[in-house]
Amino acid sequence: MRPEFKDKIMHVLFLVPTLIAAGMLVMMLAFMSEGIGQISWRFLSSSIFEGGIFEPIMGTFFLFLGTVLITMPIGIFAAIYLVEYAPRDSKFVRIVDQAINNLAGVPSIVIGLFGYTFFCKILGLGISLVAGWLTLTLMMLPIMIRGTEEALRMIPQSFREAAMALGATKWETVRDAVLPAAMPGILTSILLGVARVAGETAAIIFTASVLTMKGLPRTPLEPVTSLTFYLFVLLVAIPKTSYKVAFGVALVLFGIVFLFSAIATVIRMYYRRKWKW
Amino acid sequence: MVRWRVRIEDLPIKIMLLISASSSIIVLFLMTIFVLKEGLPAFWEVGLDELLMGTRWAPYYGRYGALPLIIGSVLIVMTTLMISVPLGISVSIYISEWAPGWLKDPLKSMIEMLAAIPSIVYGFVGLMFIAPTIAEFFGLSSGQVVLTSAIVLTMMVLPTIVDISTEVMFLVPKEWKEAAFALGAGKWQVIEDVVLPTSKSGIVAAVILAFGRAIGETIAVLLTCGCVGAMPEGNVFLQPVYAITAAIVVYMGEAEYGGTLYHVLYALAAILFMITFVMNLLADLILRKMLGGVRSEARI
Repeated sequence: MRPEFKDKIMHVLFLVPTLIAAGMLVMMLAFMSEGIGQISWRFLSSSIFEGGIFEPIMGTFFLFLGTVLITMPIGIFAAIYLVEYAPRDSKFVRIVDQAINNLAGVPSIVIGLFGYTFFCKILGLGISLVAGWLTLTLMMLPIMIRGTEEALRMIPQSFREAAMALGATKWETVRDAVLPAAMPGILTSILLGVARVAGETAAIIFTASVLTMKGLPRTPLEPVTSLTFYLFVLLVAIPKTSYKVAFGVALVLFGIVFLFSAIATVIRMYYRRKWKW
Repeated sequence: MVRWRVRIEDLPIKIMLLISASSSIIVLFLMTIFVLKEGLPAFWEVGLDELLMGTRWAPYYGRYGALPLIIGSVLIVMTTLMISVPLGISVSIYISEWAPGWLKDPLKSMIEMLAAIPSIVYGFVGLMFIAPTIAEFFGLSSGQVVLTSAIVLTMMVLPTIVDISTEVMFLVPKEWKEAAFALGAGKWQVIEDVVLPTSKSGIVAAVILAFGRAIGETIAVLLTCGCVGAMPEGNVFLQPVYAITAAIVVYMGEAEYGGTLYHVLYALAAILFMITFVMNLLADLILRKMLGGVRSEARI
């Protein structure tokens, strides 16, 4: 067979799987869009006892808010140490690097089990919002550290040298010259982390949520219902529950997660184009 | 190397930074300890033999044979890889070699979007849409079978495979390809003889990571695998099974803290933890050798 002819066949042969892969995304979106009819102000703002999803939306919001507040300082500080303070390619950096990758690879159910035993039982927090925050922190931390690291590494050396020339100490340089410039990158990693945390189910099943709900938690020591947990409960109970509500919950959840990922991507693209050092 | 003025006031900050940087090591260390501490008692309470070789998973009757669960997980993961590896590599080859320049990034972003969808949403689509389709197509009474889980998981691991594979394919030196073209090779010959052999180990790393993701996936599998704790027989692709992760979710809610079932579930989690740990180390080793410190975003 002549090579040109074979190339044409191969081209088509490889185009097909690509179309299949793209078709998978289209299928997911098309299926999700069936929930559109369910979305209304009433659905979003009324309690789950009246067929709405107000508590799960607030629950998801509470969960990622606390997780971000805990993860943000630890993640940023860790990245600052790894990029600005630690000697490059030192043994410590290599071990931390590997630990971050491995932590990111731990199945979320194992993180959930660990959270249940360590935070709920041993630290005595019980199944609560705060236990959920701590467990989800373990999932968000690798994303936060990696994203901030990347943002810090993009800052040119001249920023640091300029600050030093003005007599700044190491920490003043980082605080006043490097961190502000890295802010868009850090924001991106927070948004990606939120997308991950808001969509997580397995890690909060034993740590933050219980089946019997009594409305919104009044203190962080009370359990919370998130969109993911509510959808899980609905799906396990089908066909006893209504499909319609499940469709609505899935669409809202998907919308929230997708929105955060999309904003993160846009910020990143915008600043990569605008800030060429 | 720049010399910095060091002030004594900066010391507490440096210590705080160091502690934060150590957090991931501390967490991973604690996790290892706990998984082992809570999982090991299962081996003398139930016995290694019964746990790993017992074929009856019926915790309410005091039978903790986890072999059906292990086989269930392995079946689902293997089926997933059988679909996703050829698919993912083909897509990567298309994106890196054939797709016109303006289409490369949109195609990559489309695949990456699959990674942004939460696993419960995948489970939802699998349960409500893919399972009924499979049931109808094969004439089954229930569509919650190995194949359904594998299709759902394929969508979930595809971004991992494609992201890393395209990245290593982009790294193949242009001169090598041009040299092959100059020798009269066709496009496919260049791919077959230059691109694939050069990026082979990177693709292997991508598959290893996909394996790790697939075996640890919980909610999407729980909703689609059928949750039947018996040894699968006959056409295994169309049998309902019980994945390890699914069993942990279902039984943990009822397990007494510190009881035998609790220890057994922890032992299963320990197996998962160790598998994913080793897989991650292996993939990192390969990728570090290949990319020399370059890190793929799909890793996280």
